[in-house]
Amino acid sequence: MTDEVDAQASFAFEGNWRDYAPIAFTNLLLTIVTLGVYRFWATTRTRRYLWSNTRFIDDWLEWTGTGKELFVGFLMVLVLIGLPFLFLQFGAQALVLQGQVALAGVLTIMAAFTIFYFTGVARFRALRYRLSRTWWHGIRGGSDDAGWGYGGQYMWRTMVAYLPFGLLIPWSMMSLWNRRMNRMSFGSEPFVARGRARPLMKRFLLFYLAPILFVLLAIAMADIYGGELGGGIRVTSSFPPILRIIAFLVIFLGVYTLLGLIALAYYAAFLREAIDNLSLGGLQFSFEASTDDWLALFFGDVALVVCTLGIGAIFLQYRHWKFFITHMGAAGEIYTDQLAQSRTRTDRHGEGLLDALDVGAF
Amino acid sequence: MEAFRLWHYDGVTAVRRDVALAAEGEAHFRLTEPESGWTGEPVAWDDLTVIGADKGRSAYGHRALPGWRMGFAGDAPPDIAARLPRAERYGRWIDRFGLWQAAAAFTLVAGLVVWGALEAPALIAPMIPQSWENRMGDAMVGDFGGRICSTPAGDKALAALVARIDPDAEARDVVVANIPLVNAVTLPGGRIILFDGLIQQAGSPDEVAGVLGHELGHVRHRDTMTGLVRQLGLSVLLGGFAGDTGGYLNGVLSLSYGRKAEDAADSVAIAQMRAAAISPAGTAAFFERMGGKGEGANMERAMTWLSSHPLSADRRKRFEAAVQRGAAYRPALDAAQWRALRRSCKSDPSVEDAWGRPF
Repeated sequence: MTDEVDAQASFAFEGNWRDYAPIAFTNLLLTIVTLGVYRFWATTRTRRYLWSNTRFIDDWLEWTGTGKELFVGFLMVLVLIGLPFLFLQFGAQALVLQGQVALAGVLTIMAAFTIFYFTGVARFRALRYRLSRTWWHGIRGGSDDAGWGYGGQYMWRTMVAYLPFGLLIPWSMMSLWNRRMNRMSFGSEPFVARGRARPLMKRFLLFYLAPILFVLLAIAMADIYGGELGGGIRVTSSFPPILRIIAFLVIFLGVYTLLGLIALAYYAAFLREAIDNLSLGGLQFSFEASTDDWLALFFGDVALVVCTLGIGAIFLQYRHWKFFITHMGAAGEIYTDQLAQSRTRTDRHGEGLLDALDVGAF
Repeated sequence: MEAFRLWHYDGVTAVRRDVALAAEGEAHFRLTEPESGWTGEPVAWDDLTVIGADKGRSAYGHRALPGWRMGFAGDAPPDIAARLPRAERYGRWIDRFGLWQAAAAFTLVAGLVVWGALEAPALIAPMIPQSWENRMGDAMVGDFGGRICSTPAGDKALAALVARIDPDAEARDVVVANIPLVNAVTLPGGRIILFDGLIQQAGSPDEVAGVLGHELGHVRHRDTMTGLVRQLGLSVLLGGFAGDTGGYLNGVLSLSYGRKAEDAADSVAIAQMRAAAISPAGTAAFFERMGGKGEGANMERAMTWLSSHPLSADRRKRFEAAVQRGAAYRPALDAAQWRALRRSCKSDPSVEDAWGRPF
């Protein structure tokens, strides 16, 4: 009952966009005519398709989440967080009008921190929810942690990350990833995440080129308006205006493209480091999407959406899942007779919090 | 004929079994793996649920046993296929009616919901007790950040104007605020705020009387509450809770009540002025003067009374037509009172500067 697993053959996506198209278009139609309410069921149909076309070793994954539980999760967030928030907002406005600006500020800051905290909780719970609805060989994943503690960890680690000029951001991101994954399990096996921040530093330091780029941007700007930079440096240009505008646009676009590239390169390295150091029992996971792959994905997305006047957006989830699975690998051994059922608790409601706060699971 | 084989997981371990299915009595069946001699517990056909049935791959689960699965590739023999549950496609309700019928029904319901969201506030608002609205308005506005202008003479003049336009004291509070916008607002709780910019812009007290009468119409018809209910309803309907820090004061200040409500408020203004023997000609002149600026002054228009009270030639004509020939009109305020009202903000030493404190 053991399987020697070959890394590249372990994960495979066997879906086809033509098979998925009827699902995507009917989802769009039903979501529109129900004023958006159907989106929970649409998400479920999409995931059912994506999971059932994802093969891991010898069998396909199953998604057993339902639209109803996503809907219930959404309603819970609406009542438990949305309504108090509405009143808080209203109260803060009233306080400002009455001159109690300080008190209103305190209320607003408290509200912001609450959102901050719940963003962390939501990330944790979304991952837990998704694992608990993912089955393979009749076994599911999950976590016994409800994520309340993770919310606090998320808050302080994110805040500390920005203190020394943001130099601790890679540490913060990776430690949070490890912390989150280490609380998850699949069947009787816990995930073990040992990602390190150090290998990411080289890529991350590229971000510190950004100030230099912004100086370039400022010069370009001053070039156009003949303005003055700080410190009495005056920029004059003898170029004709049209050339100046073109130069400005080139530099402007260049700066933002470069920043985007750095972010992409960093994120590619981050996910590789994180997943390459993730294991489950005798299985060692790997992820091999390079910065080029991410670029191709990104520009593919943009082209798809732009060329179809936005309708192509309904295929983005499909593309992202396919990208993720195609680059995912696992090597090692798995003993199916020793992989027993998960004993983690499952919630009856879905990822409402995540939906409301609009953050992704990864 | 080769026996029909299925795969099976028991939901306890991940071991995959290669099983045969044998009916047991009317309602049950049992899975067995001949090679290993493994035999499962009897399972009721009715307990089966569909996990997936696509691309010639079928998988079924068990209602009470998480992780229990059986499945097969291709088609099942007819006697087994007949007992298997049918897969859901779009969701139970939609499958029952069919996609297009369901989509049509949803469109109808969606239309009703949108229509309801637009119409219901006018029905709901009058049901909210006035005392609630008053308390809410007071909580929202307080002293308007200290911007309310008050001098003994100015207050007396304003009271005289209010007494003529609103003899029954329908508005709980009418004040002048030290804000240089040509604007007047009605806030929840029957509170009317005239901005100093409006009073300075007005050529005569009759013009201010017309605007006051119009705002009184909003108070009488509880239009502000209707607008608030509508806003609340829309934000709930559209799930617009997340990240909406737009703020309710801005909401109230920029509420537009709709054409019907504005017309009704104009009717109130005309009726009150007639009862008080104040000529509507001034208000008509005010419309003409404000409209005369044309489309060019868009930014300015956006900040004035006109933004929430759309200007139209019809409205001006309506006030013009309301002027009765031979009627014995009296000015809304005498010259001394009018002077006092106009000086109210300038000569109030304790009033807050217009932009001195944030809202």
